[in-house]
This record gives sequence, structure tokens and C-alpha cells, in this order.
Amino acid sequence: MNSKNIKKYLYRLFLVVIALIVLIWLFFIPSSKEPDYVFDMSWGTAGKAAGEFHDPTGIAVFKNEVFVSDARNARIQVFDLNGHFKRQFGSKGDGPGQLGRPMNLTIANNELYVADYWNDRIEVFGLDGKPHRDIGHTGTGPGEFSSPGGVAVANNGDLYVADFYGQRIQHLDANGTFIGQWGNTGKIGITAGKFNYPTDVAIAKNGMIYVADGYNDRIQVFNANGEFVRKWGGPFASNIWGPFNGWFATVTSINFDKKDNVYVADFYNNRIQKFSPEGVFLTSLGHRGTGQGEFEKAIAVAVADDGSVFAVDFANNRIQKWRQKQE
Amino acid sequence: MKKLIIISFLILTWANTVLAAGNQYQLQVAGLACPFCAYGIEKKLSSIKGVENTQVDVASGVVIVTMAEGVELKEKAAREKVKKAGFSLRSFSRK
Repeated sequence: MNSKNIKKYLYRLFLVVIALIVLIWLFFIPSSKEPDYVFDMSWGTAGKAAGEFHDPTGIAVFKNEVFVSDARNARIQVFDLNGHFKRQFGSKGDGPGQLGRPMNLTIANNELYVADYWNDRIEVFGLDGKPHRDIGHTGTGPGEFSSPGGVAVANNGDLYVADFYGQRIQHLDANGTFIGQWGNTGKIGITAGKFNYPTDVAIAKNGMIYVADGYNDRIQVFNANGEFVRKWGGPFASNIWGPFNGWFATVTSINFDKKDNVYVADFYNNRIQKFSPEGVFLTSLGHRGTGQGEFEKAIAVAVADDGSVFAVDFANNRIQKWRQKQE
Repeated sequence: MKKLIIISFLILTWANTVLAAGNQYQLQVAGLACPFCAYGIEKKLSSIKGVENTQVDVASGVVIVTMAEGVELKEKAAREKVKKAGFSLRSFSRK
């Protein structure tokens, strides 16, 4: 090959690369379709005292209260919507009402459901902190857990549990009796309906079940019968991570607002991403750092009735509150 | 007398440090990604008899395991638990 041919070849290669980049940009990197969110306030710092955190990992908002999993302090802390401490409950251990590593939280029927990663169970508390019951125990059999990361509660009281090492979503009745599961127990998969360390699960008002498929860097959606409906996150939602809009780098929490828009904690991208119920990218908030409105790993998200977004800023040991700009 | 107290204190501090350090192991783990991983490693390693404490640094992938006095952490057992946690052990050394 002479130098003229080599130049020609390189030029063509360059054009192909450019064309590929343009195609990826057009098809796989959506633009914002909503007004931005603005940082409102934050609270918390590293420590053990009330209002301080040691690895906050989960969050839930109910009416005018914010519940936070304070994982290494083995407790749940409760604040008002402006971050003022109200109460705390739970202590380290595996007895009734005790916690190992509380992770993602869900509130349903005036009860708080805590996925306890360390104790392999779902702990249920009253909103006042009174322990009500616990569901499940260590194992890989039906109704047993291997480090649960999140839980969702259906209108009829059925539970859906993201069983992290179990590589499955388990469907249980309100008493914890096994009904079914999606995913192969203990087996990682990247095709539709399989999981790669699922971290959280949430149920929309229409009964659709949304799964944060952690290390597959995607969201998967199932109908109430457990049939796969759709997935999104990067090209073909097939375990390709990235920093672009609609892509993820380890998803650790999922939640909804009143309109069933989907909010996802995008851990390594240090942001929260917002999608329509169908998975269309709407907007995102946050970027890496330690200043106001910056995250050092965004691990969990919840939305208040007024649309304010509450996000857990893991390594900065604080909670951030954001609100959307008016158009 | 004052000197004696200071010397005794220094000897005790030194002995305590040396003994504690002698019962610690440093594991280099590949693929740690988030707290879910870190807690997983901690949980699996804690199930080994004699493990008193496990500290995980996700960013560097370094895991420090402190064993009870007189108990040795076998590399094979550590490797097995790290594998069960979904990762691979790159190196293993006694501190």
C-alpha cells in the first residue's frame, strides 16, 4: 500500500468514525425536555449525632417528613422538609427493631419498609419508629434473601424485593409468603428480564414495576403479571455505562413523583436523572463535587408531593433538596 | 518516677500498635463499585471465624481485615469469600 492509499484509507476511516459518533449522538443521547432543577438546600455532615450521617443510603418522603437510612449508624433518622431533625429509631443488631445496614426505603399504608442488607430481611416499622414485624431471613430459597437492597409494596400489600446477591426480584404476599420471582437465583444476566445486582424496585400507580438493575446500568419495567415491558439506559440497555443523558453508571435507587415520572440515582455519574413513565429522558440534576448542588456519589432519591426532589449525597454524608425552575 | 511512667506508657503504646498491626491483613480487591459492593465484601468476610473488623475503601479497592488475637486469616478462605461477594482477590498480605 503506497502513502496515497494509506491517506485515503485513513480519511475514510475518519469519516466512518465521525458518522458513528453523529449516529450515537442522534439515537442514544437525548437532550433535556424540561426546565432545569435548582439546588434549594442541604443538611447533614459525617458523624453519629442526631442530624449527622455515616453512609446515608436510602430515603423516603411522606407528607411533610423525610426518612433517611443512616447505614453505618444502623438507624433511621426523620426530618421535616427543611432538614430539621425530628426523631430517630433503630439500633445496631439483629433483634426485633434492630438494623444491620438499612438501605432503600419505602412507605406504604402508614408503615416504613426497610431493606436490611446485613440482616437479610425487610423490617417494617410504624412511622413513629415502633417496630411492627420483619419479613424473610438469610438464604437463596423462596422467600429468603441474600442482601436485599430495596422493596416496593403493591396496593394489595404484596411485596417486591430487590434481592441483590440473589440476582432476582422476589414477589411475596404481605406476610412474606413466596409468590414468584424474576431472574435466575444467583445468576447474573444481561438480557431482558435478567439482573446484574438489582438494587431497588418501585411500583407506579398503574401497577407497573420498575427495577433499578444496578450493575447492568439500566432500568427494567415489568407488568403486574411479571412480563417484561421495556428497559432503558445506554445503547440497547445492555450493560453499557456512560456519562451521557439517559445513560447510567450504576443505578442504586428508583422512585416516582405524583405523575409517575421516574427518578433514578445514577451513582457514579453523581446525579439524579428524571424520565417519563415510558423511559424518555426529561432532565437531570447535580454533578460531582463537594459544594452546593454537587454530589460525591448520588445513591438514593425521593420526591415530595410538591415536586421537590430529595437526594442522598452518599460520600458527602448529607441530604440535598432541589426544586424545578418554573417555565 | 515520672520518667518511668512515660517509658512504660511508650512501651505499652508501641506493643499495642505492633500487636494490632500484626493481626491485620490487607486485601486488594478488583471491581469494587459502590456501597452495595463494599457492604457485600464486609458481610462475606465477617462470616469467617475470628474476623473482628473489616474496613473497605471502595475507591482504592483495599480491604483491611482485623483478626482476633492468635487467629490467622487464611488466604484461601479470604479468596473464596471475596469471590462469593462477586469480586476477585488481586493480592493478599499480612500488615
